[in-house]
Amino acid sequence: MASLTLRINNRDYPMEVDPQMPLLWAIRDFALLTGTKFGCGISQCGACTVHIDGEPVRSCVTPVSGAEGKSITTIEGLSDDNNHPVQQAWQEEQVPQCGYCQSGQIMTAVALLEKHPQPSEEQVNAYMSPIICRCGTYVRVKRAVGKAIEINQKA
Amino acid sequence: MKTITTKRAPLGGNLPRREFLRLTAVSGAFLAVGCSPGVGGNSEITTIDPAGGTDIPLNQFIVINTNGRVLLYNHRPEMGQGTFQAIPMILAEELEVDVEKIEILPSAADEKRYGSQMVVGSRSIQTEYANLRNMGAAAREMLRQAAASRWQVELNECKASLGEIIHTSGKKLTYGELVEEASKLTPPENPPLKAPGDFKVIGQPIARRDVPAKTNGAAIYGLDIQVPGMLYASVERSPVFLGKVVSFNDEKAKAVPGVKAVVKTQRNVWGHTREGVAVVADNYWAANQGRKALEVKWDTGGLEKNSSATILKKYKADAAKEGVSLSEGGNVSTVGGEGKVIEAVYETPYQSHVCMEPMNATVSVKEGKAEFWGSTQNPNGIRSQLARQLNIEPDNVAINYTFMGGGFGRRSMTDVAEEAADISLQVGAPVKVVWTREDDLTQGPFRAASLNVCRGAVAGGKVVTLEHKVVAQEIQNQTGDKMEAGRQLMGGINTEYEIPNYRVSGVLQKHYVPITYWRAVYHTTNCFAHESFIDELAVAAGKDPIAFRLDMLKNHPRYTKVLQTLAEKTNWNGPKEEGVGRGVSILERSGAFTGMVIEVKKENGKVKPVKITTVVDVGICINPDTVRAQTEGSIVMGLTATYKSGIRLEKGAVAQSNFHDYNMLTFEECPPCETYIIQNEEKPEGAGESGLANVAPSLCNAIFDLTGVRVRKLPLDLGVIG
Repeated sequence: MASLTLRINNRDYPMEVDPQMPLLWAIRDFALLTGTKFGCGISQCGACTVHIDGEPVRSCVTPVSGAEGKSITTIEGLSDDNNHPVQQAWQEEQVPQCGYCQSGQIMTAVALLEKHPQPSEEQVNAYMSPIICRCGTYVRVKRAVGKAIEINQKA
Repeated sequence: MKTITTKRAPLGGNLPRREFLRLTAVSGAFLAVGCSPGVGGNSEITTIDPAGGTDIPLNQFIVINTNGRVLLYNHRPEMGQGTFQAIPMILAEELEVDVEKIEILPSAADEKRYGSQMVVGSRSIQTEYANLRNMGAAAREMLRQAAASRWQVELNECKASLGEIIHTSGKKLTYGELVEEASKLTPPENPPLKAPGDFKVIGQPIARRDVPAKTNGAAIYGLDIQVPGMLYASVERSPVFLGKVVSFNDEKAKAVPGVKAVVKTQRNVWGHTREGVAVVADNYWAANQGRKALEVKWDTGGLEKNSSATILKKYKADAAKEGVSLSEGGNVSTVGGEGKVIEAVYETPYQSHVCMEPMNATVSVKEGKAEFWGSTQNPNGIRSQLARQLNIEPDNVAINYTFMGGGFGRRSMTDVAEEAADISLQVGAPVKVVWTREDDLTQGPFRAASLNVCRGAVAGGKVVTLEHKVVAQEIQNQTGDKMEAGRQLMGGINTEYEIPNYRVSGVLQKHYVPITYWRAVYHTTNCFAHESFIDELAVAAGKDPIAFRLDMLKNHPRYTKVLQTLAEKTNWNGPKEEGVGRGVSILERSGAFTGMVIEVKKENGKVKPVKITTVVDVGICINPDTVRAQTEGSIVMGLTATYKSGIRLEKGAVAQSNFHDYNMLTFEECPPCETYIIQNEEKPEGAGESGLANVAPSLCNAIFDLTGVRVRKLPLDLGVIG
C-alpha cells in the first residue's frame, strides 16, 4: 500500500492504495468520480478513457502510481456546465442511448479535436473506432464529431 | 393537503449536495441521479420546485407543485430504449403541458402502484400507451373541473392548454393554482382522449432528457452505486458450466490487503444452479486480486468433453425428427408433388449480450430486510427473488433501480442480485458484486443457438409448400423432463405469407449451456433462416424478391406498404449500380413491421455492406428520433451478430473471454443507415428491436445477389465470401 495524491480535474485527491491498482479504480472507488466507466479491464473497449496531461489513456490498464504528479482530466472535468463543444454536439445529435460508453467516446473525441482540429476521415476512424458502443450509436457519434468541428469553428 | 416526500438513494459519490442542487436547477429534476426514489439510505425531503411551494400528486404518475411546476414519473427503467422520454411524452400529451418545461423522475419500484415495470420485448409503449393517456387525461379533467367550479361556469367552457385552464372569456388559471382543489376530486374513469390528429407532443422528435446527464458523467448506473459500509465482491467461477465447488483454499486470498472474507455462493439461472466462491474486500481491486490468489477445486462432472461440435452433432441428429407442430395449414405432404423442391439448413451460434456495463448488483441484507440498488430491467422480479431467497415478505425488500448500461434481455434476469444478497447475508454488510467482462462473456446466459431446417416447393412462380423446422433450446423450458417444443421457438417465422401448404415445427433441445432473452430473441435466428429461404424460393421461382413477397402479402396492407416504400426509397426497380448486391427481408416483431434493404460491394476482395435502408411501421410513433436511434442501434447489433462474433464452446466452456476475441462492430465499420417511418394511426407498437433480425437475412441475400454464394451459417466471414 502507498499514500499518494492524484490531481484530478484540478483538485487533489489523497489516497491509500496499492500502487499497482489501475487508475480506473482509484478514480471510481477512491476519488468517487464515477463518470469514468469500467467496460473490459484490458484496454479493449475505451469506456475508461481519461486524459493524462492532455493525452487520452486507458485508465483500466494504467497503474495508479504512473499517474501521480500528473494532471488527470475525467468527463466530470471537461466543462463546468456540460457545455464543452463536444458535449454540446453530443447533446444536439442526441448521441447517447444507454450512455454508458459515452464518457469514453466524448473524452476520445475531445482528444482527437485537440490534436486535429480539422481531422481527416482516417484520423476520425483511428481515434473513434477503438471505442465500443453496444447500443450502436456510431451513426450519431459520426455526426456529432462533425457538429463539434462546426461549433469549434464558430467559437 | 397531501404532500409527497421524495426520497432518494445515495448519490453515488460524485455529486456533493451543492453540485446536485446546481444540476437540478440546470437540467431539471433529479435526473442527474438517475436512480429511482425508492427507499434510499440517505432519504431526504425535497420538492420539485427550488422556489418552494407544495408538491401535490394527481395520480401515481403526475405531481404538480402549487407554483405550477409539473413532475411526471417514468415507471419503466431506462437502458437506452428511450422510455425515459417516451412515457412522459404520452402523459404530457393528454395533460396539456409544455413538454419542455416538465420535470421527469424515475418512479419508485412499486408494482402495487404501477403494475409490471419490467422492460422487455419492446413492450413498454405497447402495453402502457392506453393507461398513460388515461392518466394524463384524467388529471387534465380534474384541473378543468376545478377551474369550472372556481369560476362557476360550464366545464365545456374551460380549455386546457400548456399548463393553464383558459375560459372562453379569456380568463386563466395555472395548474399550480388549481392543483389543490383538483386533487380533492374523484378522477374520472373514462376521460375524453384527444384524436391522434390533434397530437402536439406525440410524434415530435423531442430531445431526450436523460441525454445531458449522459454527456457529463452525472448519470448513475448500477456500477456507480455507493452505500455506506459497502464491501465489494468478485466471484471465482467454475471453468466449465455447472461445475460444483468441492473445496477451496483462501489463505493467499485473505492475505491480500483489503480482503475481508471469502464465502461460497450460488445463483440460479433458469433452473440451473451455478456455484462460485466470492472474495469480499473493501475495494474492488483488492477483491479481484484476492480472487486471483484463490485456489478452488471443482467437480466438473465430465462437462469438458463438450464443445460446439458435440452440440451441433446432437442438433443435426435431432433435426431428422418430425418435431412438434407449432403452426400449419394445408397439407405439406404434397411437397414435391408439383414444381421444384429445394431444401436448406441454416445454423446460428449462441450470442452474448455484452452490455457495456458489466453485470453488477448492490444488496444489503439486514435484520429481516433487504435493499437492492442497481441496473435492472426487472425491478419487480428482483423484489420477488430476494423475498423468496431470504424468506421475507416482499414488502421488506426495497428496490432502487438506476440507469442501465445496456440491458438487451440480460438484465431481465435476477441472478446477479441473488448472488449479491447471498453474499451480503453471509458477510453481514452491504455488498456490491461486480462481474468482470470475462465473467460476463463466459457465464452467459446466451441467446439460443439453433438449426433451422427449411424445405419448400415453387410452381408457376409461387410458393406452394413451405416447411420450417426449428431445432433449439427453449428459454422457459431448460431443465426437467418435458421435451415438447413450445410456440416460443417459432418467433420470427412469418405465417402471414399466403402459402397454401405450410408447417412450422419445433424440436426441443436441452443443454447445459444457459440461454435467455436476447434483444429480438428467436427472431434473430429464425428470421435469418426464414427470410433467407424465401429469397432462395424467389430465386428458384425466377422472381424479384420484393415482387415475390408482395405477391404473397396481397391481403396484408401494412407489409405491402413497408415493401412498396422500401422499393421506392432504394430505387429498387430502377437500374442497379454495377458491382452492387442488394438483399431484402421483412419481419414483424413486437407488433411492428420492418423491411430492410442492405447493399453490398466488394472492396479489396472483401464484401462490405455500404448502405442500409430500413422502413419501419410502429403504428403511432411517440418519438421518431428515438425510433430512428433504436433502428440504428439494432442494425449495429445485427451486423455484429451476423459477421463479427458468435460464442464458441470448447471443453465445456466458452472459448472466448473478452472484446479481443469476441468482436463488436466498430465505428469505422458502421455503414450509412437511412430509416423511414411509416405514418399511420394504428396503435403504437414496440420499436426497441426494430430491424435487428432483418440484418442477417438482408445482408446474406445481398451477398448472394452480388456473388452467388448462399450463406447459411453465422457468423459469416466477410473476408472469404465469393
